[in-house]
Amino acid sequence: MELNLIVAGVGGQGSVLASHIIAESAISQGLKARVGETFGAAMRGGAVASHVRIGDVSAPLVQKGKADAILALEPLEGLRVGVDYLSPTGIVILNTRPIPPVDVSVGIFSYPDIEEIISILSAIGKRVYHFDATELAIAAGNYRTLNSVILGAFSTSEAFPFQPEVLLESISSRVPPSSKDANEKAFNLGREKMEELREKNK
Amino acid sequence: MSSITDRNEGKRVLLMGNEAIARGALEGNVRFATAYPGTPSSEILETLLKAKLEIPIYAEWSINEKVAFEVAFGASLVGVRSLVAMKNAGFNWVMDPFMTISYTGCKAGMLIVVADDPGAHYSSNEQDTRFGAEYNKLLCFEPSCQDEARLMARDAFSLSESFELPIFLRSVTRLSHASGDVTLGKLPDAPDERLLGFNKHWKIPYRWNVYGPPGAVSKHQWLLSRQGMIQEYVETTPYNKFEKGELPFAIISSGIGASYCDEAIKNLGLSGKISYLRLGIARPLPIKFLIELLNTCKLVLVVEEGDPVVEGQFRRFTQKQGKCLEIKGKEDNFIPQFDEINTDVVEEAIQKAFGETVKNRSLEKPYQLEKFKERVVPRSSTLCAGCPHLGSYWGLKKAIQKEKEVVVVNGDIGCYEQGGYGIFSKKDLSSPDNHKRYPINSPYTILDTLYVMGSGASMAQGMAQSGYPGKCVGVCGDSTFFHAILPSLANGVANKANFTLLVLDNRWTAMTGHQPSPTSCTKDPGAPQTILSIPEVVKAFGVQDIHIVNAYQVNEVQAAIEKAFTFNGPSVVILEGECMLQVVRHTKRKWQKTIIDQEKCTGCKTCIQLGCPAINFKDGKALIDKLQCVDCGLCAQVCPFEAIEGGIEWN
Repeated sequence: MELNLIVAGVGGQGSVLASHIIAESAISQGLKARVGETFGAAMRGGAVASHVRIGDVSAPLVQKGKADAILALEPLEGLRVGVDYLSPTGIVILNTRPIPPVDVSVGIFSYPDIEEIISILSAIGKRVYHFDATELAIAAGNYRTLNSVILGAFSTSEAFPFQPEVLLESISSRVPPSSKDANEKAFNLGREKMEELREKNK
Repeated sequence: MSSITDRNEGKRVLLMGNEAIARGALEGNVRFATAYPGTPSSEILETLLKAKLEIPIYAEWSINEKVAFEVAFGASLVGVRSLVAMKNAGFNWVMDPFMTISYTGCKAGMLIVVADDPGAHYSSNEQDTRFGAEYNKLLCFEPSCQDEARLMARDAFSLSESFELPIFLRSVTRLSHASGDVTLGKLPDAPDERLLGFNKHWKIPYRWNVYGPPGAVSKHQWLLSRQGMIQEYVETTPYNKFEKGELPFAIISSGIGASYCDEAIKNLGLSGKISYLRLGIARPLPIKFLIELLNTCKLVLVVEEGDPVVEGQFRRFTQKQGKCLEIKGKEDNFIPQFDEINTDVVEEAIQKAFGETVKNRSLEKPYQLEKFKERVVPRSSTLCAGCPHLGSYWGLKKAIQKEKEVVVVNGDIGCYEQGGYGIFSKKDLSSPDNHKRYPINSPYTILDTLYVMGSGASMAQGMAQSGYPGKCVGVCGDSTFFHAILPSLANGVANKANFTLLVLDNRWTAMTGHQPSPTSCTKDPGAPQTILSIPEVVKAFGVQDIHIVNAYQVNEVQAAIEKAFTFNGPSVVILEGECMLQVVRHTKRKWQKTIIDQEKCTGCKTCIQLGCPAINFKDGKALIDKLQCVDCGLCAQVCPFEAIEGGIEWN
């Protein structure tokens, strides 16, 4: 088997940790895993795309147009990665809460509409699941659990090859004990949201 | 992180390439490690510093790579296995000792790890340091994945001891900063002390002295005489793999390039059809496999990350054998010599090279999405909210604006290098004019030259001594000051140059991830055992005009720089302010209280020009991003309409 996915977000959102958690869940199931991180300069607030490859793989990066899933912690970053990497059969799990880049906030560029981002990604891939994941993270008690919300949604999507619990176990082994409950709650909120969205899509 | 010292042999864990190298070195019983921080290599020493808590090993952040190299070499000569790690650019600092110590070799195993950065993600160039190993006739490991990196780092020490020469391990960003599944090996229970001791005539008279009789030429001959045993190892090592194919075509690949090749060959269904030489050692090459290729193939494609290092060796070998076969690679620009390669690039090269014979997949691009790509907005990295450099650059800008002549600001390497990133504008145009002044609309256009560690101060001196009429400025940080500026400053003072050096002391080697610098006051592992004082050093060097200012007081910063500009001779302005990310980490913040009074704001964008990412602009007014703002108070100082309130009182 081979599974290619990319976790996209803004530095500080936890996309690299999320990608490591997915890779560790695969290793726990006896599979090979690679994670290739790409960012601009090694600084805060930049675009981060973490490539996760599972199965019979050797290269650290997903090939163009071959991502089976894109987990976007931020919509613009989902778009940035999607236009290059999303496969025609791939899905996108998109947090709709934007973090405008400084280039937008100082008035040089304008941020694309969320609806436009969703329609572009829908035109490229098979399905875009979109919801305000930041709100769910806050509901779980800590906005920093955003990556767990997205992982929860991913665990219940058609792209995840194992039982959702496998991913939850990986999360529990990586997050600090003090935030374990919040992360589990966030994971379950993401999971419920995905069940609801998939139901709607039937 | 605990998996680094995990004694659970056979356990499979996810490790970053740099962690895998550190783990492998520990399995190879390394007991001494040095490095200067540099992305993408820094986590090697960071990991060993953490391991120090459980395994007795000496590890330090050295002042620079040359010093790190010599410190590690010293340990090897008295019999302690040592590792030195650096990034591509750091390797340039090492060349002097590197090229000379190989004449005597080393005693205890020594591993030199260099992490290159093809694609220049974190570097000012894309240089391929494997040339160093070739230049110096050392064995060059080039792992293709994290587990191989671990194994090679493990084997390096005993190999080094048998060759009596250091082993070179070349990593790249996609290995060092990527993660993969690694199977933990055995950690030794105790240090290997068999070689502990010193003998100045060890096996060879005046062993550790290139001048000692019979001199350097004879020691050069000794280095050449070691090549046979290196070649013997290369011929039999399992790190090189050869698969013979049916067709008269072959691919040679090495390192991370092999990981892309593996997939391209699989995707194109070429396994078993073409011959495949997969190298784990980029220098020297295994002759028996090369001969096999020469005898069975008419076309060979060489795939490697970086410059044509393997390819050059293969071309020379082919010529030496008097064989005439077609070789494609980077020397003939068949594969571009710039930027990174990846599976897509390799697939395309394979299909182009072997043409119809092996083609079984169309060359069409998966997508033509140009229209969609236009909607992707850039996300530029900036200095952080509340960064002390924002204050330093604001004061510098104001001082520059008062000068009649064009001031030249020479940058250096560190967070403050972002002063040359040219963001906050859509497009900068070139001009054929010889002499021209440009407005400074943000801190991101304030640096005029930007090259390497230490170049700013020396270039400023050269400009000043040449008779250029404007003020010449060098900008550096605290870590850079000790790494590279010390000789430049001594030179400037000794030659009484009329230039100004700004030292932006934020107390950390911040850009590479906050490693302690010699001015860090911290209990972090790797912290300086004695904290060094930049003002005392500058004074001792004989600088007559020294200013020490708080970087968060923009008027004082400006006044100090203006004053330094009037001094005839070398002047130094030390701008102090701890990295705000660290301040926020170790102080308990209450709440964000800085606000912009929307009534008073005229939309003049002066505060936007400060360059702080916590200041946004919407509907003709500036406003504060409460999530990012750290109340540093800089924007309140620069607002001409007193529309901004709050922030730290710095007095």
